[in-house]
Amino acid sequence: MVNYVSNEQRKTGEEMQEFLTEQKSIYLQICEMIETDILRGILLEEERVPSTNELARLYTINPATAAKGINLLVDQGILYKKRGIGMFVATGAADKIRTRRKEVFQKTKLFQFLQEAKSLGITKEELVSMISRWEEQQ
Amino acid sequence: MSQLVCHGITKSYGDKEVLHGIDLTLESGKIYGLIGRNGAGKTTLLSILSNQNPATAGAVTLDQEPVWENRKALDRLCFSRELNISSESGLGNYRVKDYLRAAATYYTHWDRDLEKNLMTTFGVDAKKRLNKLSKGMLSMVTIIVALASKAEFTLLDEPVAGLDVVAREQFYRLLLQEYTQTGRTFVISTHIIEEAADLLEEVIILDQGRVIRKENTQELVGRAFQVTGLAEQVEAAIGNLETHHKESLGRSESAMVFLQKGQSIPEGYEITVQPVNLQKVFVALCGGETQI
Repeated sequence: MVNYVSNEQRKTGEEMQEFLTEQKSIYLQICEMIETDILRGILLEEERVPSTNELARLYTINPATAAKGINLLVDQGILYKKRGIGMFVATGAADKIRTRRKEVFQKTKLFQFLQEAKSLGITKEELVSMISRWEEQQ
Repeated sequence: MSQLVCHGITKSYGDKEVLHGIDLTLESGKIYGLIGRNGAGKTTLLSILSNQNPATAGAVTLDQEPVWENRKALDRLCFSRELNISSESGLGNYRVKDYLRAAATYYTHWDRDLEKNLMTTFGVDAKKRLNKLSKGMLSMVTIIVALASKAEFTLLDEPVAGLDVVAREQFYRLLLQEYTQTGRTFVISTHIIEEAADLLEEVIILDQGRVIRKENTQELVGRAFQVTGLAEQVEAAIGNLETHHKESLGRSESAMVFLQKGQSIPEGYEITVQPVNLQKVFVALCGGETQI
């Protein structure tokens, strides 16, 4: 099995593939930071998000890279452009992000987690009881 | 859009050729990084680009006009090089303010307010003689000249050499501020690759007098991967891909691969694939092969 150590989405042919590690392209990190800010209510729907130049100065990155991140969010319908004013958070953006992140969780993080459990010989019953025990401790 | 272009630039010092026919196009409105090992020819290239050093062959043009001894073109260029304060140069006895006054006279678009702000930001003492400044302080003076010159194409030769981490961060921020406000073009050579990587829209890799890569930084890094595993598995997996910097340790092997558009690392092998950073890409391209 090819073991991809990264979190990054990479194009292999037509389909996107999720990678799993800390190292991500800077524009994907920008996307994620904005998404997380939307989920946490730091950025509200129909509110203006920082411009690419503001993001560039804040994170000391090239504005072209910041723009790439912003554009990806525009393509996904999370941000939209108001001509001459700037980028805004779309209505329903938080739901969209949550839905997509759930999908990613199921397809990649959960998959990796179950692979690891399998390789350690952990049974489904053991896993369920681990989760219950973890919940009790919380 | 303006373009600063090298046409087949060759440079020899005595019978030693240090640049071998360099063709390079720099477009306005970008931050370029120029990286290469010591002696790769970075400073020579920058000095030729800015008319401070004659090419042995080839020419540099700015919007199709030759740069060589062309005042109109030179008004749009600034090369802020490392200050040579050795006793022969005589420069060491100048006070900072006198040196900056000379620069202000030379650079047509000099911004005196920006010069003053930068002097305060970096805390450089205007009355000090250049030969009394530390390496870091001298770098600050070259940064001040570069930014205050307001030149459309500004070339900086190792601006962060000798700067502490706080001053380096300050420089990166100042650079971005200036860039986002004006859209000036910057070419920056540096050995502190990872720190600058995210600032650079494009990276130019110079190796032994040749440009071996000029590419969007994110794209270059995005198509490079480190592949490791059992040597036979790695060899089989990467057989058809562009490969650099193979290293082996016992039965394991690691190599860096560059994927071309549409290429992917084949499935079905027991290998680990990791993303890499610009510094690793640089070492793989310029560091040669190693056997441990």
